Amino acid sequence: MNGAPKEVTLTIDGTQLTVPEGTLLVEAAKRIKTDIPVYCYHPKLGPAGLCRICLVDVEKTPKLQIACNTTVGEGMVVHTYGPKVEDGRRAVLEFLLLNHPLDCPICDKGGECDLQDYSIAYGQGASRLADPKEIKPKAIDLGPTIVLDDERCIVCQRCTRFDEIITLEQSLVVKDRGQRDVIATATGTPYVSMFSGNVTELCPVGALTSKTYRFKSRPWDLNRSLTTCVQCSAGCAINVDERHGEVLRTMSVPGDDAVSEGWLCDRGRYNVGFYSDPRRLTSPLLRRDGEWVQLGWEDAIDLWARTLHEAVDSAGPKSLAALGGGRLTNEEAYLIGHVFRALGCENIDWRTGRQRQASPGPRGGTYADVESAQAIVLVGVPPAQTTPIMSLRIRKAVSQRGARMILVGDYALPIRVAHERVARPRDLASLDLDRYERIAFFWDGIDPRVGSELNEFAEGLAEGRKIFTYVTGETPNARGAEGMGLVPRSGGRDSVGMLAAARDGNLRSLAIFAANPVLHMPGGADSVRGAIENVPFVVTTELFMTPTAERSTLVLPARGPFEKSGHTFDVTGAVRVLRPGVAAPTGTLSDLEILIALASALGVDVPGPAALHRQAALHAPWVARGFGDPALFAEGELKAPRAGAKATGLRLVIAADLFSGGGTVYHDDRLGELRPLATAALSEHTAAVAEVHDGYLVDIVAAEGTLRGLVVRVAPNHVDGTVTILEGLPDAPASAFEGGQTVALANVRAARVPVGVA
Amino acid sequence: MPVSKVLTRGIGQVDLRDLKVYRRRGGYRQWKRVITELQPAEVVDLVSKSNLRGRGGAGFPTGRKWGFLPNNGRPRYMVCNSDEAEPGTFKDRMLIEETPHQVIEGMLIGAYAIGAKQAFIYIRGEFKRGYEVFTKALADARDAGLIGEQLFGTEHGVEITIHRGAGAYICGEETALLNSLEGKRGEPRLKPPFPAIKGLYDEPTVVNNVETLAFLPYILKNGPEWFAQIGPPKSPGLKVVSVSGHVKKPGNFEVALGTTLRKLLALAGGPRDGRKIIAVQPGGGSSACLFEEHLDLSYDFDTMAANGTMLGSGAVVFFDDTTDFVKAAHALVRFFAHESCGQCTPCREGGHWLEVTLERILHGGGLDSDIDMLVAVARQLTGINLCPLGDSIEPFLASVVKRFESQFRGYVRKRAIAV
Repeated sequence: MNGAPKEVTLTIDGTQLTVPEGTLLVEAAKRIKTDIPVYCYHPKLGPAGLCRICLVDVEKTPKLQIACNTTVGEGMVVHTYGPKVEDGRRAVLEFLLLNHPLDCPICDKGGECDLQDYSIAYGQGASRLADPKEIKPKAIDLGPTIVLDDERCIVCQRCTRFDEIITLEQSLVVKDRGQRDVIATATGTPYVSMFSGNVTELCPVGALTSKTYRFKSRPWDLNRSLTTCVQCSAGCAINVDERHGEVLRTMSVPGDDAVSEGWLCDRGRYNVGFYSDPRRLTSPLLRRDGEWVQLGWEDAIDLWARTLHEAVDSAGPKSLAALGGGRLTNEEAYLIGHVFRALGCENIDWRTGRQRQASPGPRGGTYADVESAQAIVLVGVPPAQTTPIMSLRIRKAVSQRGARMILVGDYALPIRVAHERVARPRDLASLDLDRYERIAFFWDGIDPRVGSELNEFAEGLAEGRKIFTYVTGETPNARGAEGMGLVPRSGGRDSVGMLAAARDGNLRSLAIFAANPVLHMPGGADSVRGAIENVPFVVTTELFMTPTAERSTLVLPARGPFEKSGHTFDVTGAVRVLRPGVAAPTGTLSDLEILIALASALGVDVPGPAALHRQAALHAPWVARGFGDPALFAEGELKAPRAGAKATGLRLVIAADLFSGGGTVYHDDRLGELRPLATAALSEHTAAVAEVHDGYLVDIVAAEGTLRGLVVRVAPNHVDGTVTILEGLPDAPASAFEGGQTVALANVRAARVPVGVA
Repeated sequence: MPVSKVLTRGIGQVDLRDLKVYRRRGGYRQWKRVITELQPAEVVDLVSKSNLRGRGGAGFPTGRKWGFLPNNGRPRYMVCNSDEAEPGTFKDRMLIEETPHQVIEGMLIGAYAIGAKQAFIYIRGEFKRGYEVFTKALADARDAGLIGEQLFGTEHGVEITIHRGAGAYICGEETALLNSLEGKRGEPRLKPPFPAIKGLYDEPTVVNNVETLAFLPYILKNGPEWFAQIGPPKSPGLKVVSVSGHVKKPGNFEVALGTTLRKLLALAGGPRDGRKIIAVQPGGGSSACLFEEHLDLSYDFDTMAANGTMLGSGAVVFFDDTTDFVKAAHALVRFFAHESCGQCTPCREGGHWLEVTLERILHGGGLDSDIDMLVAVARQLTGINLCPLGDSIEPFLASVVKRFESQFRGYVRKRAIAV
């Protein structure tokens, strides 16, 4: 492995080229812009050698060779076209099309189908088949997201290999054999994966399609724009496909190797229906005597500015506060601080949920660093729940490097891989991690005590080692908000302090940008709602009438991530670019435009667009001193009120589901089955001890109160002695509860309810 | 030295499944000699000198195959392929059912020669009796201190594990067998890498046929020269041949390679009374047919190859003048189409296409153009798959269509008359 790899010189179609030893012919040909047709081969999945379409003629080799599994050789002479090659491809295509239904006019893949394209390039006009085509099932429901048309399937096994090599989930398999083979799950259960949508993109034909996009559009009618997904903090590049102002689908970006590697999670891919949901807010709304009245934008902004001035005049800038959620761009986050600090207000914070820190400190790693780690330590909520694409890198480290996986806390892993588990970061000391040179630490950014304990441990190992740290929290662009100064400075209050001040009657005006603290803030919805109602003037910018917006005085209709431009930081701190991909509904403004209008009404100067972009894009991300940086936890008491645990039995784990949330998911009718039920998940052992079964209804009783009517879900990957509930569900808000406390199951009923897919 | 049977000697006369009987006749002495006196390289050398060629179908020189293993310090595995499923072949079945100990002794010697501490035998799922006999024999050998660690007071040892197949012809292909042995779907792997480099559990692995391994004790006992001088020099030794078809006494016959097909026919009792052999498939269902004018050819790897067919696993099927070759072709094509794993497009689709076409011809729906198309499609699906299963369809089909085209035309004409 020393020195540069050896180079090999070969000739493809008369062009001489030099490539590293071991390069596959199919990849070498790309260097001279030669397209060798492939179905089963995929650069990220490697060669499979099944479809046989990539036949090429290698001189001095009698038979045609498959370019996907032939490595370059010194002096090799390759022909990718010519009568021999074309006859080979014609033969393979004749076989592929033999029983293919040729239903292109009604096939979603039509227009972007490799089978169509190569048939036109290499196929023959007519089939020699004199018998009827094989009849196979046309619309097999594989799970909540994917439908299989077995007649169209060419059994390239890209989908099954993706599920085996990339996600390590191994649920999709080829069943039966020969002409009877069919894609299915090994167990016959629905195909459930948070990465399921990728198989529709990998499918070179129209066999696997997304339920959300089936029969919706033709590819040539779509307008495509490249932007960044802001559903979580991963920062994946994403293609938005829009027609007549409606986002019909999103697609991954093959060149996005720095972040997504060309994959998308299902939340990013499928949660786009909300953009065109009829419940979108399209006019500023003012609550007057308990009724909402429509207001013009100018009046709304003037009212807001006037109220702010009056509050400062009467009660001083300490009576103002601003909260900004994670959907904001860096520019918007920056402007919130800029405008409110101009008024003298320091009560500024982005932390409207459980996550309290975004920057991982000076040892923050890149995505590529994850792959190189020999040991991976996951503390708290695992990245699979918060930043799915990051979890694919972790799986890669495990599968390709044999990285050792260690979990801290009670969270369940979504896949079955070998791992160890300890209760607290300090217990990591017993695991001999000092024998590794490269260790990656992931923290959910929630509990500062856990964070600082972990920080102490990681710093203790840092000498002579590469330590990579990541805060994979639940808040999108938290990194940007924190880096752009959306945190309290010089004695300002953080979000918890603001609500305390509100409760005490010390806030005159609260601005909430793109956030839903009623659903997500620790302390519970009732407590947050009460605090908000105690503030005389609350402004919320939102897409929908969320539980927070409902309690506000003035609600301003904002724009979603695909409707605006700007920048964000991904979870590793790299700059990502947002470009508008779909026209926003008339009557809405982006938070940036709202802030500029507000600044103008307040008489605050703002940087011009170019300067603002420069400032936000090039702003050095603020870097914490490490996990649990005390600078971020000035207020100290961040947790839900704790009345002293009196209930007994199980430890409570508050997990995030990929589709938790009361905003975009709640207002996206296309998601259907993907919306999580309010569940109480238990291990098989725990369920047996508690005498409950899958599908039972239970209540969870804690010191803070009772969470009613949860559906029991028994799953093997849960830790014994724990019960896991989901946060962010509008119907069963978990924000009133603190994780880790002891709770009891009560009111167990065997009532079977219609159960969705876990 | 006169040529005499070794592998089948005593079968039907004594109970060779009994360890005591086997040992009394000299069994396991070569194993003891190998492990206590010979270096692995010496064993490889002796086997190379014997010119033993694999008895599973491909006829690859065994010593050379062993030599491909890299010296990388990784664990190695010896796998005995007993997934015998080639149409017409039933010799391995007899060997494991009747003389399991010589197979075990061969596996132990082979494993020692390649430096493997662990050997596996993959027994075809349908061989229930073979599995039971072999399991008992293995337990007896283990109790007798012939299998396990630190044998005969040395540091060396070999463990043997049995794995049963689940009913797939394709698992006789060595990489499909390895996948199946690992608990994966039984489908051939993409090569390279070859099993010698990355085989079972991605480690260097040798897969040898039952009969190949069973010869090892005798080659060591009698010396490589004994084996090498039997039959043609490049294709020497003894071979257990399964003879079936239109013969009076089908069965397994151990003969010297270089015997004629006519002699094999005589061994099997000759043709049925009043019948004439008009065709013979010399190497299992995958081989092309030879015809009556070929019966005096020497039965060995190279002569068969020179005549456009192969010796394969040594399954000789004779056809007499009552044969309906359309039905015969349909039966074999249906077999291969049914057994295709479905990975490669040409084999999956092409085999099925030929099957439905032949079915239609048989049922009176044949078209004149079908006959040329059968040959063309069989040709078209050949040579472009990742394993040889698909390539097994063309030889028989093309050879009988060429020779007995009139039979195929007859079916088509019948339809024309009916219409």
